[in-house]
Amino acid sequence: MIDLKNIVVRFGEFEALHRINVDVKEGEFFTFLGPSGCGKTTTLRTITGFIEPVEGVVSMQGRDITHVPIEKRNIGIVFQSYALFPTMTVRDNIAFGLKIKKMKKDEIDRKVTEIARKVDLTDEQLAKAVSQLSGGQQQRVAIARALVTEPAIICMDEPLSNLDAKLRVNLRNELKKMQREFGITTIYVTHDQEEALTLSDRIAVFNKGYIEQIGTPNEVYNHSATEFVANFIGDINKLQEEITGKLNLPADQVHYIRLERISVCAAENDGKEAVSAGQTVSLDGVIESQEYYGLFIKYTIKTAGQTLKVVEKNDGINIYEPGDRVILRIDPKDIMSY
Amino acid sequence: MQASIAGKQKYNLGKLWGIFGGVLFVYLFLGFMVIPCFNTLTSVFRETDAAGNPDPFAVIRFFFAGKMPMFLWNSIRLALCLVVTVNVVGISIVLLTEYFDIKGAKILRLGYMTTLIYSGVALVTGYQFLYDQNGLMTKWLADFFPGMNKQWFTGFNAVLFTMTFACTSNHALFLRNAIRGIDYNTVEAARNLGARPFKVLLKVVMPTLLPTLFSLTVMTFITGLCAMSAPTLLGYNSINPEIVRLAGSSVADESFPQARAALLSIILAMCTIALLLTLNHYENKGHYLSVSKTKAKLVKQKIQNPAANVLAHIYAYVLFLIYMTPVVMIIIFSFQNWGNVRNKVLDPSSWTLSNYFGNQDYIYQNWKGKEMVSKGAISGVFGNEKTLGGIRLSFIMSAIAAALACVIVVIAVNYIFKHKKKKRGKLVEACLLFPWLLPTILICYSFRTFFNSNVFYVFGQNLYMKENVRILIVLAYMVVKLPFAVRMIKAAFYAIDDELEDAARNLGASQIVTFLRVKLPIVLPSVLAVFALNFNALFSEYDMGATFKKAEGTTYAMVIQSMCEDEGRNNVNMNASGRRCASTVFIMIISGLILYLVYGVGARDLGERLAIREKRRKRLEKIKRKFSIAHAAAEELPAAERRNIA
Repeated sequence: MIDLKNIVVRFGEFEALHRINVDVKEGEFFTFLGPSGCGKTTTLRTITGFIEPVEGVVSMQGRDITHVPIEKRNIGIVFQSYALFPTMTVRDNIAFGLKIKKMKKDEIDRKVTEIARKVDLTDEQLAKAVSQLSGGQQQRVAIARALVTEPAIICMDEPLSNLDAKLRVNLRNELKKMQREFGITTIYVTHDQEEALTLSDRIAVFNKGYIEQIGTPNEVYNHSATEFVANFIGDINKLQEEITGKLNLPADQVHYIRLERISVCAAENDGKEAVSAGQTVSLDGVIESQEYYGLFIKYTIKTAGQTLKVVEKNDGINIYEPGDRVILRIDPKDIMSY
Repeated sequence: MQASIAGKQKYNLGKLWGIFGGVLFVYLFLGFMVIPCFNTLTSVFRETDAAGNPDPFAVIRFFFAGKMPMFLWNSIRLALCLVVTVNVVGISIVLLTEYFDIKGAKILRLGYMTTLIYSGVALVTGYQFLYDQNGLMTKWLADFFPGMNKQWFTGFNAVLFTMTFACTSNHALFLRNAIRGIDYNTVEAARNLGARPFKVLLKVVMPTLLPTLFSLTVMTFITGLCAMSAPTLLGYNSINPEIVRLAGSSVADESFPQARAALLSIILAMCTIALLLTLNHYENKGHYLSVSKTKAKLVKQKIQNPAANVLAHIYAYVLFLIYMTPVVMIIIFSFQNWGNVRNKVLDPSSWTLSNYFGNQDYIYQNWKGKEMVSKGAISGVFGNEKTLGGIRLSFIMSAIAAALACVIVVIAVNYIFKHKKKKRGKLVEACLLFPWLLPTILICYSFRTFFNSNVFYVFGQNLYMKENVRILIVLAYMVVKLPFAVRMIKAAFYAIDDELEDAARNLGASQIVTFLRVKLPIVLPSVLAVFALNFNALFSEYDMGATFKKAEGTTYAMVIQSMCEDEGRNNVNMNASGRRCASTVFIMIISGLILYLVYGVGARDLGERLAIREKRRKRLEKIKRKFSIAHAAAEELPAAERRNIA
């Protein structure tokens, strides 16, 4: 569908993208994820044509569009600020692209009404000024405006970042539902890993102008390709020498384990040493502190010369207090080594 | 292939337009800013001695030998005194209406803000009318204090008094904004820590106002230095009136008058530049601003000490009287007949509209005792050809100049934003701000002298000749108003989110369509406001017109003024003073209307406009419903009556 080959973008002396390669498939929800300044928005703007790469080829449906002007690309975009035109009503905002295409008035009216219904905007809302709508409604207008011209692809640049936490989760689900209904290829930019994991079919993790990994949410989370990806996505423990020694892990690498991959149980009261069973290694630990999240509890546990973070489901049975002695179990196959 | 050729042609066309725009800009900048002003500045060094040999320092020697430093000193003295008096009055009016709890603050504010619609020559002549030795107020005051000097309102005193109250408009606008931006939590915190209200004012409130006060002080100083109408009309020998006098003088009367005018202009320009650089340097540092995130609205402070409270109220209302008396008197006298106005007597039993619409003959006896008729000698602002001509000319010239300034600035600022990180963007901006560095009078004087010969780049025309001077005045008006337009319109362009342009382009709009349909509508309210404010200032301006001093370019304010100068002479212009009152009222109405349109209506966004429209629609429906109910009831009544009869 859309293919980026060896894309290089420079701003003066600064090279923002170093030979980026991405291939987004038809109908896919593809996310660019990374910290701010990593090049994800630059890549998106290269696809939409706001930035022209100094090297490399952008092609869409097999056609080279590297030098095609912005307005001829047929790629929709939803901006971080929504970029709704403040001097136009909601209806005029949505109709803008169609008017530019010099469509007939009744055709425009039909299309606007149709798309408004799909994104849940009422006729009354269509007559309002943009400033009279809430954040969530504005976002729907932005999506409607981008979709009404029937683009081949829709790009979204952190469209949820201006909203409060609760609305963000609601709209996230709505967004995914809409994408599934419209079946449109979507490229989504975010720095929020939770958003990326819940929404995407595939994720490209960016860092300093390079792509570190492209994969499904599961691949990226559980089989992080690089140390950066492991650290950036989710919470993780870096294992120190004492534990890696017990696990017989190579000393020339660094080793990580996800919080939920360590299991905890109460220590035997007789004070016996923890015994390892099979491949699993057991470690003695003492609860240092507890963070209560409701759905789960995060413990910081002192063990084998370091502290480890562990999450346990809040099942109401095993709740530990600071100072409690516990046994930790680690399975070597859960370790990610770099 | 065809598409790429078409694209190339389009690109070439765009490039061609770019080159055309660039060349035009350079032509205008060099031709109407740099060359005329440079010509003035260098004329100082082009003088010759008696033998005809070049003597570049003759004017400078003359400057130190003659009484020219006196003009400079007078201007500086005025500026220094104004800084003190304007700040005292300006800070007072803002604190009294915004910070302290004074009864009737809303009405007081309206009174203090009258200078926004009542300024320039109109204001000076209004003050003169009330306070000169035969003035109404002076007469009343003399009745109270028989020993007082009836001629107190002349020269320096008169100029200082008038300008003190005339120049507080900036305080009323900017200091008010600054005081409204104060975080009330800081005031509460200080009180909570044990500070008394006066201490809070001094230690917490005033320091946050300092940056604004500094800018206002510099602006006041420049205003004092470049004062024109007040010194001219009230007779004070400061720089600007002298420049204008010298510009119109001839070599036959005195030594190199033009070069001396130029030298004074240069001195004025250097002072302005130094002050503006100071201001710029200070603004760039810009600290002191409140950093608290949630600002609490200021609650007005009650003055606890009863005696102080009474004194503050008296002070507030005395200031109010000083501001309002000229306005009220001018309005009243605009409806009095010419005799009353000229004798400055208020006759509550006789009122007339002749100062507005009159066109009556004046019958008098000549020295032989023969009855004579002076046709149309008593005529109103809208009743005599000459003032109507002045209004028409000023209207057209101001409108064209204000519109041109807006068009040029909108296109230029769009360019500046597109190239804001590049040198050419900054260069264009600097060019447009250039007139700000030079006193208005220098620019007008330069235009007058430089274009008073056949200049090759204006098609070999003499632009000072006959009707051509109107083109020159329009150009001067436009040039002078560019910096203000740039500052305001640039601020408006900052409000355009970059993503809006990207969005429009992404939806298929070309650059020109994006500009016209997305960016322009956003900045349009600001552009119209700038147009209105510039038009407002130009329509009633006097200083520049007076510098050109040309029969074909006699502006509205000049007509009114010159008619007053020969009021009653040869039995014409009998009601010139009354007509001037009416004209002032006319200008106040226009200015007030424009300010209302700009700050009231123009400041509403689409949401507010739609909400107001909706409200109006609902109100109309309600009235209709009521009407239809009443109508139905009226129809039902006879039917019921019929039934009763049956």
